[in-house]
Amino acid sequence: MTSANGGPIADGERQRLVVIGNGMVGARFVDELLARGGGERYEIVMFGDEPTGNYNRILLSGILAGSHAPEDIFINPLEWYATHGVTLHAGVRVGSVDRESRLVRGDTGVLEPYDVLVFATGSSPFVPPLRNMSGHGTETKEGLFAFRTLDDCARMLAHAPTARTAAVIGGGLLGLEAARGLLERGLDVHVVHLRSHLMEMQLDPPAGELLRATLEAMGVTVHVDTETSALLGAQRVEGLAFADGRTLACDMVVVSAGIRPNVSLAIDCGLVVDRGIVVTDELRCPGDPAVFAIGECAQHRGQLYGLVAPLWEQARVLAERLSGRVPDAVYTGSRVSTKLKVAGVELAVMGDQEPASTTDEVVTYSEPSRGVYKKLVVRDGRLGGAILLGDAGAAPMLLQAFDRGTALPENRAELLFQLAAAERAAGVAELADSAQICNCNGVSKGDLVAAVRGGHCTLRSLCEATRAGLGCGACKPQVQQVLELAAGDAVRDDPSVHWYVPGVPLTKAELVRAVREHDLRSVSAVFARLAGGREDAGSKAGLASLLRTIWGKDYDDERDARFINDRVHANVQKDGTFSVIPRIFGGVTTAAELRRIADVAEKYAVPMVKITGGQRIDLLGVSKERLPDMWRDLGMPSGHAYTKAFRTCKTCIGSEFCRYGVGDSTTLGVQIERRYQGVETPHKLKLATAGCPRNCSEATTKDVGAVAIEGGQWEIYVGGAAGTRVRKGDLLVVVDSHDAVLRYMGRFMQYYREHAKYLERTFDFVERMGIDRLRAVLVDDVEKICAELDAAIDAAAEAYVDPWEEATAPVHPSQFADLLEPIGPAPAAAWENR
Amino acid sequence: MSTFAPPATDVATHCPYCALQCGIRLDVADGAPRVAGNPEFPVNRGALCIKGFTAAETLDHPERLRAPLVRDARGELVPAAWDEALERIASGVRTTQERHGRDAVGVFGGGSLTNEKAYLLGKLARVGLRTKHVDYNGRFCMSSAASAAIMALGVDRGLPFPVEEIARADAILLVGANPAETMPPLMQYVQEARASGGALVVADPRRTLTAQSATLHLRLAPGTDAALANGLLHVLVRDGLIDREFVDERTEGFDAVRGTVATYWPERTERITGVAEGDLARAARLLGTARRPMVLTARGAEQQAQGVSNVLAFVNLALALGRRRESFAAFGTITGQGNGQGGREHGQKADQLPGYRRIDDASARAHMADVWRVAAHEIPGAGRSAYEMLDGIGHPDGVRALLVIGSNPVVSAPRALHVAERLRALDLLVVADFFLSETARMADVVLPSAQWAEEEGTTTNLEGRVVLRRRAVAPPDGVRTDLEIITAIAERLGRGEWFVSAEPRDVFDELRRATAGGVADYSGITYDRLERGEAVFWPCPSLGHPGTPRLFAERFATPSGRARFHAVRHGEPAEQPDAAFPYHLTTGRVLAQYQSGTQTRRVERLTRIAPEPTAELHPLVARRAGVADGSLVTLVSRRGEAVARARITRDIREDTVFVPFHWGGMESINRLTNPALDPISRMPEFKVCAVRVEPHVPARRAEVA
Repeated sequence: MTSANGGPIADGERQRLVVIGNGMVGARFVDELLARGGGERYEIVMFGDEPTGNYNRILLSGILAGSHAPEDIFINPLEWYATHGVTLHAGVRVGSVDRESRLVRGDTGVLEPYDVLVFATGSSPFVPPLRNMSGHGTETKEGLFAFRTLDDCARMLAHAPTARTAAVIGGGLLGLEAARGLLERGLDVHVVHLRSHLMEMQLDPPAGELLRATLEAMGVTVHVDTETSALLGAQRVEGLAFADGRTLACDMVVVSAGIRPNVSLAIDCGLVVDRGIVVTDELRCPGDPAVFAIGECAQHRGQLYGLVAPLWEQARVLAERLSGRVPDAVYTGSRVSTKLKVAGVELAVMGDQEPASTTDEVVTYSEPSRGVYKKLVVRDGRLGGAILLGDAGAAPMLLQAFDRGTALPENRAELLFQLAAAERAAGVAELADSAQICNCNGVSKGDLVAAVRGGHCTLRSLCEATRAGLGCGACKPQVQQVLELAAGDAVRDDPSVHWYVPGVPLTKAELVRAVREHDLRSVSAVFARLAGGREDAGSKAGLASLLRTIWGKDYDDERDARFINDRVHANVQKDGTFSVIPRIFGGVTTAAELRRIADVAEKYAVPMVKITGGQRIDLLGVSKERLPDMWRDLGMPSGHAYTKAFRTCKTCIGSEFCRYGVGDSTTLGVQIERRYQGVETPHKLKLATAGCPRNCSEATTKDVGAVAIEGGQWEIYVGGAAGTRVRKGDLLVVVDSHDAVLRYMGRFMQYYREHAKYLERTFDFVERMGIDRLRAVLVDDVEKICAELDAAIDAAAEAYVDPWEEATAPVHPSQFADLLEPIGPAPAAAWENR
Repeated sequence: MSTFAPPATDVATHCPYCALQCGIRLDVADGAPRVAGNPEFPVNRGALCIKGFTAAETLDHPERLRAPLVRDARGELVPAAWDEALERIASGVRTTQERHGRDAVGVFGGGSLTNEKAYLLGKLARVGLRTKHVDYNGRFCMSSAASAAIMALGVDRGLPFPVEEIARADAILLVGANPAETMPPLMQYVQEARASGGALVVADPRRTLTAQSATLHLRLAPGTDAALANGLLHVLVRDGLIDREFVDERTEGFDAVRGTVATYWPERTERITGVAEGDLARAARLLGTARRPMVLTARGAEQQAQGVSNVLAFVNLALALGRRRESFAAFGTITGQGNGQGGREHGQKADQLPGYRRIDDASARAHMADVWRVAAHEIPGAGRSAYEMLDGIGHPDGVRALLVIGSNPVVSAPRALHVAERLRALDLLVVADFFLSETARMADVVLPSAQWAEEEGTTTNLEGRVVLRRRAVAPPDGVRTDLEIITAIAERLGRGEWFVSAEPRDVFDELRRATAGGVADYSGITYDRLERGEAVFWPCPSLGHPGTPRLFAERFATPSGRARFHAVRHGEPAEQPDAAFPYHLTTGRVLAQYQSGTQTRRVERLTRIAPEPTAELHPLVARRAGVADGSLVTLVSRRGEAVARARITRDIREDTVFVPFHWGGMESINRLTNPALDPISRMPEFKVCAVRVEPHVPARRAEVA
């Protein structure tokens, strides 16, 4: 065997490595050692005086405050040691170390010989000598706690519900975190601090004072310059007595007055100990080549470290060395910085808080009303130290600049504020003309500017002229920015995008007003009066729909204004034939109805009979002139599968037969369909009801859907889609009866009828309006229009006449004569809403 | 035959560039082919980026190589007959192998090669040249993601689901990915997700175009990806936002990860990554409260010496988020090269055989021996990874003759100056390409090969969807296909009986047999099915099999069927900034150029948009270096220097410089990059090294060049 220097070891023989301490540094060291193959070189034994594996002590304040669960802070649970072949004496304190015979003795009597020994004994809370500390005999007084271990935390949490007022002795970082935790637990919290300002180790007086003010504003009472002399109370804590004679009544005391390195074991075995166990750059204890020390117990170049980053660095360096990966690895010290969250106050501290020489430069910024204080010490153009209180936005950048010693900007003001966020939306103005705006079609800023100068001053015409935005569409906001930039005042918010139809220059609201005012009851009358007599084919269908919504039966129906589907009440197919879809309410049918459909299909030699996605039966391939006869023979109402109207309400089997159903979706669907069949809307409307959240009928991706939930309630969703675009509907309201479902659905439909643009589907409409606004209007009735909406949709529903009745009374003799009317193209969406 | 079939002058095929393999229609009616998006192809739905639109300009380009070139006695490359060129190769290979052994010859392939070419090139190495040394530039691209996916999920397929799934996600985390510039047509799915209320979180040191459109941009320091993932998972665990049901039912190993992430509390994560705690918490909340969260990584996280750990950390995150209403976790990686996916499945990787089989697996070797009609022991073992093969040139056991197809390592490999120097030490360098690339310029023999629209072949896109590229035009006279070149070399070496056909369909049929039973099983995929427009995703083990769009719907591809968590810590990049080299350098792509630029730098419309590399500098960096916007800067690392034009912007971190890698010569940023390799994937650390920035002094150019 060789020394611990990482030289070669004898074949198959492992050295014994004993680690005293199973805290954040000891266990980290073993973890790092194993990661470097140390398991092949060493048989590892650990002693830990807590009965658990290794946990993250830094997060204890999170447990106290309730943000972390105890099981979430374990880094190495007990199984970890077994899995990795490490012997852990958990809950065993080391009683003595015999360096002569290289033996460690646990207080249970266990003896472990070592070849290499690592002290990672950490530190313990410092408890100042106070009078009346103990309760019964030597027992600690009930209600008195330290704040160092998981066990301390558990005991505090068990005690806190019985307590009302807590005093924390010590206004350092840990004390303030304890104060925050107890505040979160609803206690009245006092912090008692010996010095004249809080966190005097990390903060200068102005920052400490500001922190005090901030904490007091949050409800913590801070007593500075206050020395505690005694505990009050016999068996349990009843208060504190201060050196100046004042007292404070409280039923819980947490002592957090600093920590002291655990060095007694090292002293007893004769190692060199100053404030901590003295180590060299090799982390070795001078005088004994087999013994090392790391962590809070170690003193390196006169320095003790209490923050995790330098301590883990020590663990890493020692692992590199002892694993033999980097046999000459050394630790040369760390720059200390930290970021803390004290009672929810953002605070970052690094390096020196005061200038060390006259050449050091100090930059301060203070804004007491917001609790913001920033102070930087600049040394040789680099960051010597900083305090950032109340606004740690610049902290990530400054911490990294501090850690790496990078040069700072000459303009120190830039240091105090976030460097990147300053010009968040620099925008297109800064871009060169050659900069690409549209990636898909390769359109540069210059191309766009040229097109704008060429007169394309609306977004739509600019996109059409340059092809920008016609690929994936991602660049439209930038195209709009270029437009605004280049056109300046000339930019036109393309008014036509707000028009209801392209041929009449009015918004929907204006159009409705004008139609009523001028009593316009036909499409041609609208063109004559409002569009200067110019008839626009693309606008006819939309106007017809609107006029029917306004005038109901009193609308002067000019059939040529209708799209062919609406003229003959059937859906034109690509070969010019039609399909016939009779209404089957809620998808519920009868044997007799099915037989009739079968008979009709045979009689008219229907080429294809198809079950539709909306739970109906489609008879496809019917010539136009046979439609009326078929309707007559069917004797069923129109299923409205061809027009911009309420189409169908798909249902699942609901609660009657389904094992999972919690609501009778079938009956509800039939009710909805009977109620609203054929009601015209700006675009088709597909509904569904689902008897439970399993949603078999896909109600959440319908224009309007109702989903039954526990407790006899129904969720109503609006604006869902499952077509070229898939969108989950937004939850409008939760109601508890079928009637209420019908009411809210009707109200939404009417609002959609009145406010949507022609051919605007509900999913675009809902997005444009915003679900919050829809809820405000339709549920909270902030505009006081719900009653009107309800009345209007009721009137529309009651005015419904089955269009297939025209089978017996054609509107004009040639309505169903084939080839008399050319089949026009389907009206394309007048414009893209998106 | 459908009546909708296009006339032969309008060919439905696929873009030659990135891994989306967008559907295009190539109109060749009047001589000059024109490209339009194919709205019927589901991946791009008609959208294309500018590279795709201009892709046809490479076909009839004046700089096309139209005859083989051989280096003459004076050291000049001069045109030669095919016969002479092939003989030169054969005799060179023969001599080298006689003197130095079979492994003295190496093959270097590429991720742009079709499946058929990738397969036949691997076979050429193992059966034709009988060398163990074959690897490809995909090692510089996908290897970290591939290794991590195999370790965690049991199989490597870029996206284990179709791209449409992206539109359904309601929170997407994109890590080190900039699809708005590198894959614009993909963004339509992201935008759909956004339009339906979904959130987009982008983790990137740069505020890229993609980051600008995000709900939240996490501006992490280069090389800190795993810390970010662990920090996010810490917050999710803390706030009870993990999908416990999914973790319990479909994964293993979570407890160890929980212990590791306990050490990444927000303050520490902020300290390491530079991502503010508030942003970290917001990102965790967006992901953790989503019903359908999705995590996608790309090269930013992967091209690092800890790339595998980085990806594993993000897989952990995705697995912990689970998928509350779905049956598989949404993790994917956005594959880069055109056939990046297929290219790594068919045996041009040093450690793999076709069908994504391991070369050290005895049953895989037996299977391939059967398909190749050789004895199993004749199949060589694993060779060196891409950079290691190049770096080893000139060493006693290094390769002395190298055949390069579909790659330009002088520009694309890290530490490019060193790589060029190694290539100069070769006894024989053969390059097949359609233009005289930087690597081809150094070759002893250059073979002109056919391009994408001039030959048939299949590629496999990032979703594992196999697509058929059709032949639309005839190759120029004097040009041969790569398959013909590979076959001809084998013949000259007396191995012709193993290489009987250079017809893509024949090669594909052999590939089907080769992959049968493998992880990437193509045996049920046929040209017929692809011609009919069927969407087939591997694995597809039989003719009647529909393919597998959703890979993990039922189980993960691990022995237990469960996905595996891996406890990983972050490590530091191999090179950190210091006083002499104070900034991180990170590299990447721009929209109008592609990879080493061999194609795109020859397309005028693209070079107009991106004529030269720009170095993105934060104003503080520029001021400190005394550099004005638009002036030339010299960037220096320990390995070399390069020149770029300064673009001063606050979109980059104040400790980082970004330069794209598409250019050669003094403009090649890979002269600076660090070849530190990931221990598992052998991926070089392209994405982070240390540099300094200086104003460019023109005189220096001559000294260094």
